[in-house]
Amino acid sequence: MTAPFDQPRQLRPGLWETVNERYPGSMLSKSDFVPLAPAKAGVGVSPDLRQLRGRAAGGTPFDVVHPVGDYSFRRVPSHCKPSDLEIHQIKYPTRGAHRDLNVIFPIERLQELVSEGVVGALTANLFSFIGYNMDPERLERTLSEEIADAVVADGADIALLCPA
Amino acid sequence: MSLQYLKEAVACGDSEKLIRYVRLHLGDGNEAHGRKEIDKAWIEALKLLLDMPETDREFVLETLRNKEPETLAHLFFHLHFYFVQRSGEWIHDGTL
Repeated sequence: MTAPFDQPRQLRPGLWETVNERYPGSMLSKSDFVPLAPAKAGVGVSPDLRQLRGRAAGGTPFDVVHPVGDYSFRRVPSHCKPSDLEIHQIKYPTRGAHRDLNVIFPIERLQELVSEGVVGALTANLFSFIGYNMDPERLERTLSEEIADAVVADGADIALLCPA
Repeated sequence: MSLQYLKEAVACGDSEKLIRYVRLHLGDGNEAHGRKEIDKAWIEALKLLLDMPETDREFVLETLRNKEPETLAHLFFHLHFYFVQRSGEWIHDGTL
């Protein structure tokens, strides 16, 4: 029988110490920290969450049948309730998310964090897009850039990414 | 598989790669399921016409005449999922 390790083994020691040299900005450093409490807008960006559309806001459902994917995104007003939103997805189980939407889109948890003063505020909109995309270059060139611009325009200080 | 992979298959005329992708797409990653899903959609469409109900053939012909092939291709994918859903045997995890 193989003896359990006494200490966790770091397979690639030092890997993360140089990550910002290799991929600038990919890891938070102390100078990057944004205090959450003092009125800084928190934004839940939802890459891979993808399947929500606001009934109140209307709009076309995501294109879940297209063989190459859907490269659009939806704004979800951050004051929405789960009952205002609709999951639009066929490629993964949604039963759990229908019982509690927060498992894929923690909108109520974020609203609670604001009301408790942990996070200053939410941006006016949260963002959702579909993850079934066959063209990563187009995804990066269009969708990622467009969402990044929309997040910046909403005055976000921090972004929370929630893959579904 | 990627878009580039599919475009190269088109350029090479490699129909097997293309239809395999379609089956995988329609079968949620399982090619055998994809084949069955394609059959299910056709069977469902056939069943609806066996009694020769009245249909809006004007609409069909006008759509085919006036809409660009890309829109019709998109409609084709929609129709596939529509008929599969209608068949009552929905293998997908989420809802259309």
